[in-house]
Amino acid sequence: MTSSLESNLVLGAILFVLGAIGFLTRRNLILIMLSAELMLHGVSINLLAFGQYHGNSQGQSFTVFVLTIAACEAGLGLSLILGMYRRKKSLDVNLWTNLGEPDLPRLADDTYPPAPAALEEPLPHLAVAGRMPAYPTTPRSTLPTKP
Amino acid sequence: MKWILEEWRLLLPLALGWLAVWRMLPRDKSRSRILGGIAGVIALVMLQGLLPAPTGPLIQSGVYFACAALAVVSGVLMISDRDPINAALWFALATLAVCGIFMLNSAPFLAAATVVVYAGAIVVTFLFVIMLAQQAGAAGYDRRAAQPLLATVFGFVLLAGLMLVLRDWKALKTADGEAAPAIVQFLPTPEGIDANPLSRPVNGDLGTLQGVGRSLFGDYLYAVELAGTILLIATIGAIALAPRRAQGTL
Repeated sequence: MTSSLESNLVLGAILFVLGAIGFLTRRNLILIMLSAELMLHGVSINLLAFGQYHGNSQGQSFTVFVLTIAACEAGLGLSLILGMYRRKKSLDVNLWTNLGEPDLPRLADDTYPPAPAALEEPLPHLAVAGRMPAYPTTPRSTLPTKP
Repeated sequence: MKWILEEWRLLLPLALGWLAVWRMLPRDKSRSRILGGIAGVIALVMLQGLLPAPTGPLIQSGVYFACAALAVVSGVLMISDRDPINAALWFALATLAVCGIFMLNSAPFLAAATVVVYAGAIVVTFLFVIMLAQQAGAAGYDRRAAQPLLATVFGFVLLAGLMLVLRDWKALKTADGEAAPAIVQFLPTPEGIDANPLSRPVNGDLGTLQGVGRSLFGDYLYAVELAGTILLIATIGAIALAPRRAQGTL
């Protein structure tokens, strides 16, 4: 046995926690789903390590099921995200804070953000390589509108 | 305070790792990636010293630790990159490193399957969707993380809890730095109960296609049928949910 059980458990825990932090901090819907997949990787390492430790194939069978569910989740989630993108033209998760019916009380104010499209920020056109330009910190209303 | 001083071998790499992840998360002002990177590397090296010494061939332990470090570093870069396309590519790299770990855990079939499913299908689909939905570089919501301090503190408190449980199982080195004693039986196999007889390796075929197939289609046949049903339902659901275009438009 080359890789010990403890190292595998520590690695699985680290990957799970990194995925959880990404799940909580990222605001892009797609990156939230990718972070969930990173958490699944940590769980798979755990399962395989215990399977190898006990010397049977149960951990590998469980990991096959994890793969199956991950594929289902990716397909369904991506089609949902595409539908949500078509509604709001943005991938920001904060746009979906209120999911209730229109006549129900709002839990957060609906005015966030004032303009739905973050794509229309007039970033300077640079070559593809190079540093990313600084984010414009002036208020959105004062920016010149795109012709 | 006394407890912190006693546990510094475990708490110091965790604190450094927290500093690294917290400093590297995207924010409005300039990120201190150099400080975060140095803290992260120190944390990884200290954590490696905490693990039990590798036994067996040196080259395999080296490959194992290289794959593990690559997985952790790509994971950190994935959750901290501003560009979603770069983040998806970092995730692909983390998947490849995890497949190396699978290989070393005597699961070559699963390593190949994970490469095919993740790097071949899932990451490519994610890249397609990112390019479809977001063509103009990094948007504002990718440049600011939501509650980075709270999330990282939560994550590393969870990690500290997991590590402390492992330490109490005498799996990690103690505060005095003494080597870990003999491995503690985590879950003893119950005597006289033969739950999954087909999952046992025959003639050392653990992890081969034959062994995994016998376990899957012998012990877990009903679960395989259920998983196939879930795949079918997910396919139908994805087709039903996918946004439709009007007739005649591209």
